[in-house]
Amino acid sequence: MTDDAAVSRSSRRSFVNWLLGTTVGATAAAALYPVFRFVIPPKVAEAPVNRVLAVKLSELPPNSGKVFRFGAKPGIVVRTAAGDVRAFSATCTHLNCTVQYRPDFQHIWCACHNGHYDLQGKNIEGPPPRPLETFRVDVAGDDVYVTRGA
Amino acid sequence: MTRHFGVLALLVGTALAAGATTRTASVGAPGKHAVDTCTACHAELDDQRFRVPATFAKSDADVHHLQGITCAGCHGGDPSSDDPDTAMNPATGFVGRFAARAIPEMCASCHADASFMLRYGPNIPTDQLDQYRTSRHGQALSRGDTRVATCISCHGAHGVLPAGDARSPVYPSRIVETCGHCHGDAALMQRYGVSGREPADYKRSVHYAALTQRNDLSAPTCNDCHGSHGATPPGVSSISNVCGSCHVTQRERFDLSPHKDAFAALEQPACETCHSNHAVVHPDDHWMGVGPDQVCGQCHGGDDAGAQAATAIAATLAASRAGLEAATGRVDRVERAGMLMDEARVALEEAHQAYVLAQAEIHTVDPAAVGAQTDQVRTGFDAAGRLAADAEAEIRFRRTGLFVSLGVIALAMVALFLKVRQLER
Amino acid sequence: MMDIARRLWQALDERLQLQPLIEFAADKEVPQHRHSWAYYFGGLTLFFLGVQVVTGILLLLYYRPTAEAAFESVQFIVTRVPFGWLIRSIHSWSANLMVLAAVAHMVSVFLLGAYAKPRELTWWSGIALLGLALGFGFSGYLLPWNELSFFATRIGTDMVSKVPLVGHWLLIFLRGGEEVTGATLTRFFGLHVAVLPMITAGFVGIHLALIQRQGMHVPERLAEEARRRRPLRFIPNFVLREAIVWLAGLAALAALAAFLPWELGVKADPFAPAPAGIKPEWYFLFMFETLKLLPAHVLGIEGELVGLAVFTVAGLAWFLIPVLDRGAAAGRRSRVVLFAGLAALAAVLLVTGLSLAGVLS
Repeated sequence: MTDDAAVSRSSRRSFVNWLLGTTVGATAAAALYPVFRFVIPPKVAEAPVNRVLAVKLSELPPNSGKVFRFGAKPGIVVRTAAGDVRAFSATCTHLNCTVQYRPDFQHIWCACHNGHYDLQGKNIEGPPPRPLETFRVDVAGDDVYVTRGA
Repeated sequence: MTRHFGVLALLVGTALAAGATTRTASVGAPGKHAVDTCTACHAELDDQRFRVPATFAKSDADVHHLQGITCAGCHGGDPSSDDPDTAMNPATGFVGRFAARAIPEMCASCHADASFMLRYGPNIPTDQLDQYRTSRHGQALSRGDTRVATCISCHGAHGVLPAGDARSPVYPSRIVETCGHCHGDAALMQRYGVSGREPADYKRSVHYAALTQRNDLSAPTCNDCHGSHGATPPGVSSISNVCGSCHVTQRERFDLSPHKDAFAALEQPACETCHSNHAVVHPDDHWMGVGPDQVCGQCHGGDDAGAQAATAIAATLAASRAGLEAATGRVDRVERAGMLMDEARVALEEAHQAYVLAQAEIHTVDPAAVGAQTDQVRTGFDAAGRLAADAEAEIRFRRTGLFVSLGVIALAMVALFLKVRQLER
Repeated sequence: MMDIARRLWQALDERLQLQPLIEFAADKEVPQHRHSWAYYFGGLTLFFLGVQVVTGILLLLYYRPTAEAAFESVQFIVTRVPFGWLIRSIHSWSANLMVLAAVAHMVSVFLLGAYAKPRELTWWSGIALLGLALGFGFSGYLLPWNELSFFATRIGTDMVSKVPLVGHWLLIFLRGGEEVTGATLTRFFGLHVAVLPMITAGFVGIHLALIQRQGMHVPERLAEEARRRRPLRFIPNFVLREAIVWLAGLAALAALAAFLPWELGVKADPFAPAPAGIKPEWYFLFMFETLKLLPAHVLGIEGELVGLAVFTVAGLAWFLIPVLDRGAAAGRRSRVVLFAGLAALAAVLLVTGLSLAGVLS
């Protein structure tokens, strides 16, 4: 074997080795990167199916209400004039519009067909045939957690 | 004997019908009779017309018996005697069978006496006879037509139950059958100028469905619109009030529309014209328009302002509906594929709510008012559509990324192949 | 750096005497002949199994095995966990590719006659592994708790109730009750992540140990060629080639995940009617379709029972091939066994293909 052939042979060999190392390394990285990202838990650690942080107590004065979300479904958290915190499903039982709190009525109202619900969630006037589903409320400091039955 | 009895009964019955509206404390007073021979004898009889009423004495299926008002409470006579001639002596006030004209006053002898009825509950109404007298039934009866309904036609004579008892013929879900006994009989009704189809029509309505399928006792039945005792069809002017007492939103909008005065001038019923009075079915957006099967076309046509408004409203609703359905389908598909679509669902909910409000706005017959809501629908489904498009783009991006990784793997395979070849040279 | 590695190696070697192992690995050879490409199928199956173990463990970090939360947890993985969609798609596709590779491996072993003495135990442990792979597939299919998986499981477990005598007991055992419910899900989950992996690990160990002990089989008719052509050294030549095959498998997984991502579906509703055209996964199709094609009664016996009996007999015969074809060890393989086996495989292929093409309902 001539010196030239030997040199080109060894340079080809080191090229092949380099290529092998790089591509296998790239493949390994491409495989390991998703695994690494996967095992780090996402910001929202749990599927918000049954329990959400609905609102801050400081943002909910007495005689007011706020609509929040359970995933894609609306809920309403109400603070009565007396200071009690209650939460219900905000889907009107008539035709599924989203209800709201009316401080002038001091109870819950649906804009679509003028349905009224009292502060127990019971349908008291208008077309809604059934009361609103009641959710459990837990107040931890300034955080108001709402849990839906499962 | 029977003939005398019959004549006496007629005399006593007439006497009762003619005057007395209050019952003095006599044989008819409440309080359980220590001895009740009526039941004891009648329960043994073969003829079921006389036997069946006696069976209610011991059951819980008659509110009068439960309250201690037994046979003698209405029929009079002497329940302490087991001799028929004494027990059923007209001299002691006995009436065997009441004439139709006597019945309202007979019942009212207790039920119109407020202080008497207070013994049985603090809020029992006592205006039934007054209301009845205003009704078509009451007026016809006073003219001598005995085919019309009296108290016992709806409430029964024996086995009377409160209206809140599900077994009562006047329990909300059973009322249409009770009224329908007569009002569903076309031959009978046509003599009064009524079609007799009304109960059948009502059974096609959403109100009947709500009452019987969803057990929604607040849904209206015959007496909710016509009155329980003052049964008179709501006159033209009062229809809006009847429907509008529950359907407030629609009534308010109707009152703002040009239809209110126009219909009044034409002496045209308000809600009934478009929605019918008994067969109130679920409204369909396709009703809007001036075509042959469409509601507005009953009055409007050609190029008049109403026709234009109807066409405009129909068009904007149709466009909203189509957009909403398309967006919903797109979000469904993307969600099934495994993308998070919560924000899109919220946007669709808001769009849906705006659509429901748009449908209520129809009653203003103002395309601008409907349009204000359908604009919100568009905002909602546009937002959902954008989010779905983003998700679809993400899916394509992932595909591209994986395609790139395929390239990397292919390169690695080539490198390995070259290495193998090199080793085996 | 290399120095530390060498010293580490020395320390281990002094305690464990690893030298014989090194020599074994260094000396191991793989024969080369016209059909030695078939030798890659076993390793490929092992590769896919490895992918399943890794992706399965990753999914375990987030999955919840109850009827109330299973679907939502898979939805969470697929929508909220970074690359969760990828891990999940790979896990679902690798299951299918593993079964495919296992079947290809089994068919090539059959065709090469590698089941012959002394390799009967390898054949039998391999059949057990195929059964375990199908068990993995069946139990895992329910875990996402969507409409398709719920109804496919219901139909699949219905079949076991047809087994005479113990059928009903088997059904209750599998389902954790009379019906497919959350109890079934929990049970299948336990089987899928604990029981089956444990048993599989055992059998894989046996299977690989046997292969190392006995080496690769060369069919009699290819022995001359194998002698003529130099065998490949296991390390590094065969291993490097195997790496290419495994990377091809990885590429297939990436392509499938990219172009045919696994759907999330719709959450299972036990009270909804079964969707039209419900079918089990493809590896059960031949049984499913054949049973459907059988008439209601065959010679007075219920058609499905006859079908099950035929499958049992055929399965048993397949298992016993090393015994039925004793001549293969001496190079005289039975033509009957070969053609019967080929016919059975062709039938399975045909029915599966027709079903997938939609020709069979």
